[in-house]
This record gives sequence, C-alpha cells and structure tokens, in this order.
Amino acid sequence: MGKYILKRIGYMVLTLFIVASITFFMMKLMPGTPFSNQEKLSAAQLKIMNDQYGLNKPIWQQYIIYLANMLHGDFGTSFQFNNQPVLQLIISRLKPSMLIGAQAMIIGSILGILLGAIAAVNKNNWIDSLATFVSIVGISIPSFVLGVILQFFLAFKWNLFPIALWDGWKSSILPSLALAVSPLAQTARFMRTEMVDVLNSDYIELSKAKGNSRWQTVVKHTLRNSLIPVITILGPLTANILTGSLVVENIFSIPGIGEQFVKSIMTNDYPTIMGLTMFYSLLFMIMLLITDILYSIIDPRIRLTGKEGN
Amino acid sequence: MKVKKLLLIGATMLASTSMLAGCGGHSSESKAPDNTARIMVKDVIATMDSSLNTDVIGAQAATNTMEGLYRYKGKTIEPGIAEKVVKPTNNGLTYTFHLRDAKWSNGDPVTADDFVFAWRRTVDPKTKSQYAYIYEGIANAAKITAGKKPVDSLGVKALDKHTLQVTLEKPIPYFSKLITASFYFPQNQKVVEKWGKKYGTNSKTLVFDGPYKLVNWDGPDNTWNEVKNNDYWDAKDVKVKKLQYQVVKDPTTALNLYQSNKLDDVILTGDNAKQMRSNKDYVTRPMNSTFYLNMNQKRQPLFKNANIRRALSLTINRAQLTKKVLGDGSKPASTFIPRNMSYDPADKSKDFVDESAASANKYAKYDVTEAKRLWKQGLKETGNTGKKFNFVLLGDDTDTAKKQAEFLQNEIEKLPGLKLTLNNVPFKSRLSRSASGDFDIVAMAWNADFPDPINFLTLMTKNASYNFGKWSNAKYDSLVNRSMQEDANNPSKRWQDMEAAQNIINDQQGVVPLYQVGEAHLTKSRISDYILSPNGSYNMALLRLNK
Repeated sequence: MGKYILKRIGYMVLTLFIVASITFFMMKLMPGTPFSNQEKLSAAQLKIMNDQYGLNKPIWQQYIIYLANMLHGDFGTSFQFNNQPVLQLIISRLKPSMLIGAQAMIIGSILGILLGAIAAVNKNNWIDSLATFVSIVGISIPSFVLGVILQFFLAFKWNLFPIALWDGWKSSILPSLALAVSPLAQTARFMRTEMVDVLNSDYIELSKAKGNSRWQTVVKHTLRNSLIPVITILGPLTANILTGSLVVENIFSIPGIGEQFVKSIMTNDYPTIMGLTMFYSLLFMIMLLITDILYSIIDPRIRLTGKEGN
Repeated sequence: MKVKKLLLIGATMLASTSMLAGCGGHSSESKAPDNTARIMVKDVIATMDSSLNTDVIGAQAATNTMEGLYRYKGKTIEPGIAEKVVKPTNNGLTYTFHLRDAKWSNGDPVTADDFVFAWRRTVDPKTKSQYAYIYEGIANAAKITAGKKPVDSLGVKALDKHTLQVTLEKPIPYFSKLITASFYFPQNQKVVEKWGKKYGTNSKTLVFDGPYKLVNWDGPDNTWNEVKNNDYWDAKDVKVKKLQYQVVKDPTTALNLYQSNKLDDVILTGDNAKQMRSNKDYVTRPMNSTFYLNMNQKRQPLFKNANIRRALSLTINRAQLTKKVLGDGSKPASTFIPRNMSYDPADKSKDFVDESAASANKYAKYDVTEAKRLWKQGLKETGNTGKKFNFVLLGDDTDTAKKQAEFLQNEIEKLPGLKLTLNNVPFKSRLSRSASGDFDIVAMAWNADFPDPINFLTLMTKNASYNFGKWSNAKYDSLVNRSMQEDANNPSKRWQDMEAAQNIINDQQGVVPLYQVGEAHLTKSRISDYILSPNGSYNMALLRLNK
C-alpha cells in the first residue's frame, strides 16, 4: 500500500509538471494583457508596464522563472488583487467553497445512496417510480435554478434562512442544499442500477435461502457491493463541487473561489490562472487516489498493485 | 408515459416558480440597524493602496476613508487637507498648497511629506502602478516612470510641514479636478514602510485621514464596514456612524435583500432593472462613461466620408436601445462626452453637453429617411453608387453586448445594400483587435479618468493611441491643442475651444455616440444626500439618514 501511494505521488508530480507547462504556454497565447486599465495605456506606457512586470521577456524565460518560483512555493501575486499573494487568495476564498461543497457532498451522497437503495429494493413499484422521478428532476434542474427557488421560498417568503450573504453557518445551508441535488441524483441513479444487478446475484439468493431477512441481506451483502460505481463517480464529483460553483456562489453572495477562476481567465491574471489550475489538478488527482484506495477497502478482490486476488 | 407526464408537469411548475422569484412578493422586513447605511457594491476591494488601485470600488473605499488635498461636494471642489482651493502661479505651472492641521487615525499629523512620499511612490517604476500615467504633466513624472530620471526629481516638494508645492511641465487646467481622485491621496510613510508589500491588503495595515475608517476588512472579503473617524478634521459634519458595504453579484438576490430591508441601496441590472422602473425608490445615476461606434477608416475607406458616418448614426434609435435593450439606467447620448460631468466655468448650471446641443442633435437622432438620403449621397461622393457593402461589427461577448450588437445590426441594415456581420469576442480580445486596427466598426466605451471634457476630446486627436478608427480633422486637433496650450490658463477661452471641438466631432460624426452608461438603483427613503460626484465617487461625508 505504502509503495503504491508513493508511486502514485510520483505520477502526480509528473502530471502537475505537464499541466503547468501546457497551461503556461496556452495562457500566453491569450490576447491582451493582465492590466485592468489596458485600454487606457498608450503603446509606450504599455511597454513600460510590461517591462516592469517582466512580461516582455521571451516566453521560455518567463516559464523558467515561473517554475523556479513555484518550486520555492511562490505562486506570484494576483493582478486582480494587487499585491495579494495567489496562495493566500486561494486559501481565503477556498474556505467558504469547501464548506458548502463538503456539506453538499455529504448530504447528496448519503441521501443519494439511500434513495437508490430504496428504489432498487422496491423495483418496478410506485416507490421506485417516485425515486426515479426525484433523481431525474435532480439531474434536469441546474443547481442555480434550485438556488433561486430555495432563496425565494425558504428565505425571502418564509424567512427561515438568510437570503444571502456570508454570516455564520446558517447562511451555508441553502447553497449547500442547492449544490447537493446533483450528487444526490447521480448517486441515486448509479446506486439503483448497480443494486438491481447485485440483487439478482447468486449469493443474494443464497443469503435469502439461509433465512436472512430482506433487510439483513440488503445491509450485509448488497449495499457494500453496489458502492463501487458510486465511488467511481463521487471522486471527480467531489473535486468538482469543492472547487466552488460560480453561479450558486453569486446567487448567495458567497466569497468563494468559484468565480475567481473564470475572472482570472477573463482578466489575464496569469499568476491566479496558474495557481488555481495547479490547485484544481492536485485536488482532482487526490480525489482519484482516494477513490482507488476506497475500492480496495470496499472490495478486497481489488488489489492496488493491479494484481487480482484469488 | 405516466412518469413522462409527471416530469413535464413538475418541470413546468419549477420553471414558473423560478420565473416568479425576483418578481417581488412579501417578506418579513427586518429593522434597519441604527445610524448605519447598508450599501451594495458589485465587486470586492482589490486593494486599499492608493498607488495601486485601478477600479471604482477601491476608489470609493479610498474616498470614504482617506482625504486628499481637495474633495468634491456636489458639483463644487472644496478644500480637503488643503486649507483652501488655490489658483496656480507662474503661468499655471506652480501650485502651492497650505495644509490644515489634520491627523491620521494613529495620531500622526498629516504633513506635506505624506503627499510627497505617496506621489513619488506612485510614479516610481518599482511600485509598478498601473495608473502612474495619470501623473504625466507633473514635472518629470513620465521620465521617472520610464526609468530615465530619479524618483526625487518629481515636481512635488514639501516647503515645510504644512506647505506643499507642485511644479508642472505644462499648465494642466483641470489639475484641481485631477487631485480630487484617490491616486493623489497622501500616504503615511511610516505605516507603508512598516507593512511593505502587505500595505493595503487588509485593514490592519492601514491608517486613515478621511471621514471613515475601514475595519475588519481582509483582502478579498465580500463585506466590509467603515466607521466614522473621530480624528477626521471635519468629523462634526459626518453624521452617519457606520457604512456597511456588501458585494452582491446577482441582481435577483440584490432585489430580494432590498425588499426584505437588508440593504438600503442596490444596483439593478437586466430584467430586474426594467421591472422596477416604476418603483418609487427607483433612481438612475449617470456614469462618466459613454459607448460609441468607432469606424475604421484605414480598413474601410468608405468611412472617410462624413455623410456615410452620419447616415450610420441616424439609423440608430437610441431611445429604444437604452430603454428596451439595456434598460439599466443608461441614457441616449448625442455626443461622446458624458453629461453631469463638467460645467461651464462661467455658469455652473450649464452642462458642457447642453451647450453644444445644436450640433449634437443634428445627426445623433433617429431619422431613417435622412439616413438613407445621406447614405445615397455618401455613396455617390465616393463613387460607390449601387455597390453592396458587408461590414463586421466587433463587440464584447457579454449578454448585454450581444443584444446591443443584434439591435445595432437591425438598425444599421436599414441602409440599402449594407450588411452587418456580428463578431462578439471576449473583452481582452476586443481591446487587442481594436488597438491593432483589426475591425471595421467597433462598439466601445471610455470611462473618464478625471471629470473634464478634455479627457474625451484628446482621444480623437490625430495621433492619439485610442483613436482606433483613425478619424482626423485638422481644425479639431488645433482646437484641442489650443485648449491645452495657449488657452490653458484662460478658463472661458479654453471652454470655448472645447465646445468648438465638440461641435466639429458632432457634425462630422468622428465617432457615433450611442449612450451614456447609467446605473439603475433602488434607494430607501431613509437615505438622503447620497450624491455621486463628477469624479465618479460618492462623497459619503455628506450622507444623511432620515429617522
């Protein structure tokens, strides 16, 4: 296990290096400069600014400088937030996004697994149809539409939650619920499909023949074996949701990271683009590693070294 | 089948609910906190370092918490840290300011050295200020920024603790307006040097000499508070104890917060702005910014003909564009200089734009018949009668910009034989392509750096870098230059020069003005004297709360 994780970390470093390189050169192909008042600068003034920020150096030189600084833990300072170190910016804007993202994942995956299981156990009756309906609605309705609806009824009309703004845990509930719908629906769908398959397996028949109740069979044998595909989608989904949803964050005025990435690309904020790309990539790879480790915990037949068990 | 039906019904119900959200309704209103004004802003404070700030949010926060030499009160420039508004000497090249006894919030006195330090720091190439160019005209500023002269050669000197002398390279008739802006605020050297690169990134690193103090603000926060600064020299005139600013990016959320009494002033955009137009709290505030069409004469020689440009202008129904398409408080513009920005030095009630109304309204109106006549005439003059033309209209790719482009396409294509293809690209691409002349017609805007017509008029002189369309007119150029040189020290002559220049560009339609950018607000009646100064910032020292 330890050896496997070390190997994976090695791959991660290599992948990050490739991502950083490709992003850097692609980013430099974007038109324009990172200066917010670019339109007001004459050619001479623009040249002075580019000189001051080292943007007139050959691209390969800028690339070497960037990599060298990055290895020293220096991701540069943001152009949008003058003098604000990128790392500090990411950390401060990440907290709210992480909080609502994590809450959404917990709510979404637990309820999704339950919903999927209930649907599978009650295959082809009205409970199954209702669960399927809920998950299709969940997949069809974008989180921001749900966000607006939740905000209007639960906050504006009935005053149960804050309308928006970031003021204590209570204000994280509605955005978390809005974000939870997508993982809930997807988990439920995968769970149901897999569980229906598992319920038709021989060992389930055996368990029933042994006189185990339906409930015991489901909890002991079915649930765990049905989780593999669910875990497969949960990894990337978690990475996706933890990095903040631009629209949901805007609806609830949350000072999250969701918008920063888009804004940094729109404004050519090179250091922030690089910092966030690296961070997103790292998070994604960590989630994939966790997914693989979870596989081996859930199904002992899966060996992380790639060899099959007997 | 049943499931499908259910789904359809469910989806329809949800969709209609989401449409409802934002259409108002009743919510239990919370009580407004005592002596606090709660104001929405569109974005965060990027920095509180006045040498580095580049946007209106930062400028507003700086204007609330810092004080420069002068401050706008309504349309009038009043003394701030300076004891009085001074006239220049030495043919308009020297300004000598006597400073009042004022204090920073840490107890230090505000001295002439604080101005010298701040101004030098802004032009210093090491600071990498994006607005260093705003100092051009002060002795040696441009050379210092280019690294060709030492920083201490800047034309600003502390004659003593309370006397500041500024030397210019050439007269700057609008210098008094210029120094109301946050780029010219003083900085406490001790504090700036103590915090180094961290200065201005959170409220701990700041001291204040303005009406308010920024508290508990940390970098990219979505909310911040400003409390009354009792050390401010004019604290007795500051009546509101606390300003609460809140970033809200979603217009429906803004409306919900306003209607449940969580905010006293919100900015509306899009459909929300259109819907709330008849609300008693609805008010529009004009910005010092205009949108206009710039036609590339180098790439399309047809645009060299004035009648062709006039024809284009006459096809556009600006009233419909601002009301139906934008609906955000923008107003039709008949000239590319904004209203409510500059006033006749001889008579403060006369707006610069109104004084050239005759020339402005001749071609910047909606008259398709006249447009077709001039188009025909223009084609004849250029030997293009009967020819077909296909131009590309370059614009931004925001939703509003796309709608605007479609509207313009619809209007301009009323000219026989003219086809307009739309090309909406991201803002940075639009800028690059405009600057490199890679366009036929571009829809663009200019935001004033300082509230004076010259800031706009110079854009269209022959060699100006922002004159992307390459329109040029020798008489116009000479009038603009005269206003900046021989008439620089004669306010009324200078004003006449600028008016005459504006009449030329209006008559020639050097650029086709579209609209003056506006902001649609809802403002609670408990707030009064919430006044936007000509320099684009609100003077919150004047703000009052009604019981």
